[in-house]
Amino acid sequence: MDVLNNLYSGFHTALSIHNIYLCFLGCLWGTVVGVLPGIGPLAGITLLIPATFKVDATGAIIMLAGIYYGAMYGGSTTSILMNIPGESASIVTCIDGYQMTLKGRGGAALFISAWGSWVGGTLSVLGLMLLAPLLANFAMKFGPPEMFAVFLVAFILLGSLGSSSFFKTMPMVIMGMLIGTIGTDPLTGVLRFTHGNKDLYDGLGVLPVAMGAFGIGEVLSATEESLVRTIHKVRFRELLPTRKELRASWGAIFRGSGLGFLIGLLPGAAHILSSFVSYLVEKRVAKRPEEFGTGRIEGVAGPETANNAATGGAMIPFLGMGIPTGPAPAVMMIALLIHGVQPGPLFISQQPHIFWGLVASMYLGNVILIILNLPLVGIFVNILRVPFRILFPIILLICLVGTYSVNLSTFDLGVLLCFGILGYVFRKLDYDLAPFVLAMILGPSIEVAFRQSLMGSGGSFSIFWEKPIAFILIVLSCLLFFWNILRSVRSMKASWQKALEDSESSL
Amino acid sequence: MNKERAGGFIFFFAGMYGFIFSIQLPLGKLHEPGPGVLPLSLSILLCISGILWLILGKGDGKDKVRIDLRGIIRKSLTPVQIVVLTAAFIFLLNLLGYLVASTLYLLLIFLWVSRYRLWAAIGLAIVIGGGSWYFFAKILAVQLPKGVWI
Repeated sequence: MDVLNNLYSGFHTALSIHNIYLCFLGCLWGTVVGVLPGIGPLAGITLLIPATFKVDATGAIIMLAGIYYGAMYGGSTTSILMNIPGESASIVTCIDGYQMTLKGRGGAALFISAWGSWVGGTLSVLGLMLLAPLLANFAMKFGPPEMFAVFLVAFILLGSLGSSSFFKTMPMVIMGMLIGTIGTDPLTGVLRFTHGNKDLYDGLGVLPVAMGAFGIGEVLSATEESLVRTIHKVRFRELLPTRKELRASWGAIFRGSGLGFLIGLLPGAAHILSSFVSYLVEKRVAKRPEEFGTGRIEGVAGPETANNAATGGAMIPFLGMGIPTGPAPAVMMIALLIHGVQPGPLFISQQPHIFWGLVASMYLGNVILIILNLPLVGIFVNILRVPFRILFPIILLICLVGTYSVNLSTFDLGVLLCFGILGYVFRKLDYDLAPFVLAMILGPSIEVAFRQSLMGSGGSFSIFWEKPIAFILIVLSCLLFFWNILRSVRSMKASWQKALEDSESSL
Repeated sequence: MNKERAGGFIFFFAGMYGFIFSIQLPLGKLHEPGPGVLPLSLSILLCISGILWLILGKGDGKDKVRIDLRGIIRKSLTPVQIVVLTAAFIFLLNLLGYLVASTLYLLLIFLWVSRYRLWAAIGLAIVIGGGSWYFFAKILAVQLPKGVWI
């Protein structure tokens, strides 16, 4: 009953003309950045942060959240029509989506993608609405030992859920944490790794690092190849799927909703992971899995639903505990902090109008997006007719101005470029960047929690097993850690054995 | 050289850098850990990871992808051009102001990287540079540098 009352007041907030306009703007811009390859929700959110200075915190988070889940809708358009993922979460949609286009069923793929995104997005908002307050109440019991344990689990999960092996991802996590220590120590004020440079006193900044690694790095990689693009036209009457396609997609949509929501709760590249896991699940449950890759509707419905459902899941730890589980929620957190709002366990109880206004706006935003992405899809596709050799400098300018706009600092632009180069190099070496960036964001928090725990216990480590929640989470993280090592060692042994057998057979 | 060993080098050198500068930081005591504890621990772990990958990356198993240096140099030409031009843009931004710096930046990208003809490059640079200035400065109200002219 409380939830319904709160939701009612949330709709009262969200349905003001001003907030509807901001929600629409966010969804529209999110769709555009989702459609454009090379920039994703991170760049889109960063660029609009200065525009939020003129609005209140509620309006700001409504608009920025609109960009976040709007990008998930837009990313599928280019995947389906051009075989180019507009957003990293839509990579897997290319596999069957483009094949459907080649068979003349691109319109149906777009429809099912938008429909699945709507269902996944709406169900995940329902989950957010029910679970975030519960998690926030539970998290209010957390002290430094419990927070340390939560972050420890998050870090181990970061290492486990990267797209590379655990042994390749963990060094990226460690390096990210080390980069996160640059600046002023939060507890003693001692300067670390600043080398007398005043611009480093506040650390490197999440925005230039994330925009550089994901935005500039992506553009540098994309410009290596010449992109010859064929854009397939879709007419409005071709959008409707057949009854068979609708029936086939329902199961995938509901499975994708559940999977995406749960994976969204975990730190890491949740959107990418959710879409991949969903695709694998659909292939596993299908009667004829060999048909995947030839244009199966489930191969579009599941992943696109999952990546949208992940946005709702990702908002739960971000809003309920103040732990952003991805680069885009991290940037949204910075935007909220600029408005003097601190996400965390006290956020929902102290700022209910912001939280419930956001939840209500997400229901509204999903409706706006399905309208934008179906009948108006042709407008967004026309953006892609712009040759890439004109588009990529525009993308670079967006990244540069977006970064500059936050602190008005050219030093941040230098950091952006350096991490762009690093992002490019790591892409070439097949290393995962998301764990690196997230570890940089979360590293200072785990350090503070650890040091505060030891200060509170007088230097005794027993505090970590005397607190039941902390103890359970630390045991869980140890189990996860050893399981990942075992899994990675087995996989390496298997590949060595195979290499040995291959070399013996060639002799 | 393969990708694993290249990654190992990066981790090892990042770890060594962290180690050299973090041993200068105070470690504190057990009941009051200092600011040097985490950076030192992480640097040691990073060095160990780097060494492990340098050792594990040895050999030419099928899972070890060799780095083709000539291919990389050939493919990296465009990204290097973009990096050089972007660095120049950053350097000249406060001096020339956003409007002039972005127009010049775009002109050089369209000429040198995208390989448009001169007049097409000039036209595109003016339209996109001017349009971006209007969009960012006037519509989004971003405080962009005005340069020494003003």
